[in-house]
Amino acid sequence: MNALEVRGLTKEYPGFRLDGLDLTLPEGCILGLIGENGAGKSTTIKLMLGMLTRDDGTVIVCGQDPAAAPAALREDVGVVMDEAGIPASLTVKQVGKVMRDVFRQWEQETFDQLVQRFGLPEKKPFGEFSKGMKMKLGIAIALSHGARLLLLDEPTGGLDPVAREQVVELLHEFTRNPSHAVLISSHIVSDLEKLCDYIAFLRKGKLVLWEEKDVLLERYGLAHCTEAQFRQLPQNCICQHKRTPYGVELLVYRAQVPAGLPVSPVTIEELFVFMAKEAAE
Amino acid sequence: MKGLLRKDFYMACKYCRAYLFIVVVFLMVSLFGDDNAFMVFYPCLLAGMVPVNLLAYDENSKWHIYSGTLPCTRGQLVSVKYLMGVITQVTVLVLTGIVQAVRMCMADPHIRGGFDLTEWAVTMGVLVIMSAVSSSVSMPFMFRYGVEKGRIAYYVMIGVACAGMMMIGTMGNILPGSALFSVPAEWMVAVGVVLAIGIYALSWYLSIVFYNKRELN
Repeated sequence: MNALEVRGLTKEYPGFRLDGLDLTLPEGCILGLIGENGAGKSTTIKLMLGMLTRDDGTVIVCGQDPAAAPAALREDVGVVMDEAGIPASLTVKQVGKVMRDVFRQWEQETFDQLVQRFGLPEKKPFGEFSKGMKMKLGIAIALSHGARLLLLDEPTGGLDPVAREQVVELLHEFTRNPSHAVLISSHIVSDLEKLCDYIAFLRKGKLVLWEEKDVLLERYGLAHCTEAQFRQLPQNCICQHKRTPYGVELLVYRAQVPAGLPVSPVTIEELFVFMAKEAAE
Repeated sequence: MKGLLRKDFYMACKYCRAYLFIVVVFLMVSLFGDDNAFMVFYPCLLAGMVPVNLLAYDENSKWHIYSGTLPCTRGQLVSVKYLMGVITQVTVLVLTGIVQAVRMCMADPHIRGGFDLTEWAVTMGVLVIMSAVSSSVSMPFMFRYGVEKGRIAYYVMIGVACAGMMMIGTMGNILPGSALFSVPAEWMVAVGVVLAIGIYALSWYLSIVFYNKRELN
C-alpha cells in the first residue's frame, strides 16, 4: 500500500505554478523531495495536509483525501514545518501537556525520551531556543503521537552535523516499521542521500525527476574528459556537461558510455546540480 | 480543543499579566474614586482584546500555520479564541459587577441612596454590550485576512461606535421627547444585550466560515 499518492497536483499563485505533480511514496520507504528555495516543496507539503486548496489533481494520504477527510487523519501524520510554529512563551514541559491534550495517541514517554536524547531544556521558553533546538522539538513532537507518515519540511535546516546525524538515525528507526513512511524535503542533499529510498526533484513547480535512489545511482555516472574527447563522444550517452578549466565534466548514462571512458559514481548532490542546470537551460 | 485551550491559557498567563494588573488598578480606582465611567468600562475593553492579542502572538510565532497540521478542525481553532474571549470577559464582568455593587453599598445614602438594582443592571448591561461587540467586529477580519488588517477593522469599529454614541447623544438633545428616548434605559440596554450576544454569535460563525476558506500559507 502507498502511504502517499499524488496525481496531477496543481496550484497556482501569482508568479508561481505547481504544475501537475505526480508522486508516490510506498509504505516503509523514505522519499526525498529536493528543490531549490521557492521550488514548491513547502507548497506541496501544505497541499498534502489540506492546508491549501488545490486547483486540480488528487492527493491520497494514508488512504484518505486530506481535503475531504476529518481532522483525525492528521493523528496519523507527523509534521515538521520549516518554521517550528510553537509559541515563543511555551516551555518544553508545557508543549508536552498541550500536545497530550491535542493528540489522542500522544506518547508522553516517547516525547520525554526524545527531549532527553536531543538535550532540550525543559523549562526554557521556546523563543529562547536556537534554530536547531526548535527543529529538534518539532521532530520530537512529530515522532510522539504514533504517526504512520512523517512529512518533514527542511527538518535538518539549522542543525549541526551531529544533530543531523541523530535525526537521520531516528528516521531510519522510524521506517523500520514497514507500515511507516517519510517524505522529507530539503536542499541539504547529502542528508537525503543517506536517508532516502526515492528521490523527487522539483524545480520551479515542476517535477523534473522521481525515481528510486539506487536506480538513479546505477543509471548515471560522472566522467571527465578533454574537449577533443567530448566532441567524439556519442550524444546519447551525455545527460549534461559543464566545461571547467581542466576539461569537460560530464553526467553520463552509464549504459551508453563507450568502453575506455572512465566513469565514476555520481552522488545525488552532483546529480541535483546537473539536473538543476539542465532544467534551467 | 482542550489542548488548544490549555495553550491559550499558558499564553494568556504570560502575555496578559499586565492586563490583569491594569484591570485590578482600574477596579480599585472605580471603587474608591469619583464616578468615572472610563474606569468602569476600560477593563471590559481590555478583556475584549485578549483573544485578539492571542491571535497576534499566534501569527507571530507561525502557530496559525503549525496548528493546521494538528488533528483539530478550523472550527475548533476559531472557537478556542472565542471561548478565551468569553472566559476573560465574563471574569472581568463578574469582578466589575462585584466592585460596582460594593461601591453602591458604600456610597453615602443621603447622596446616592444605596444599592440600586436597576442602575447596577443597566451598568452591567452596557458592559456586556461593550465586551461582546468590541472583539466581535475585528475577529472575523483577523481570521480571514490576518491580524494586521483585522486590527484596522477594530480601530474603524471603535471610531464608528464613538461617532454613533455622539450622534445618539446629539439626537437626545435635539429630540428629547421622541419615542426612542422615552423608552426606559433598562429596556434599551436589555435589547442591546440581546443584540450584542447575537453579534458575538454571528461573529463566531463568520470567523469559522472565513477561516475555513483561508489558505494557511
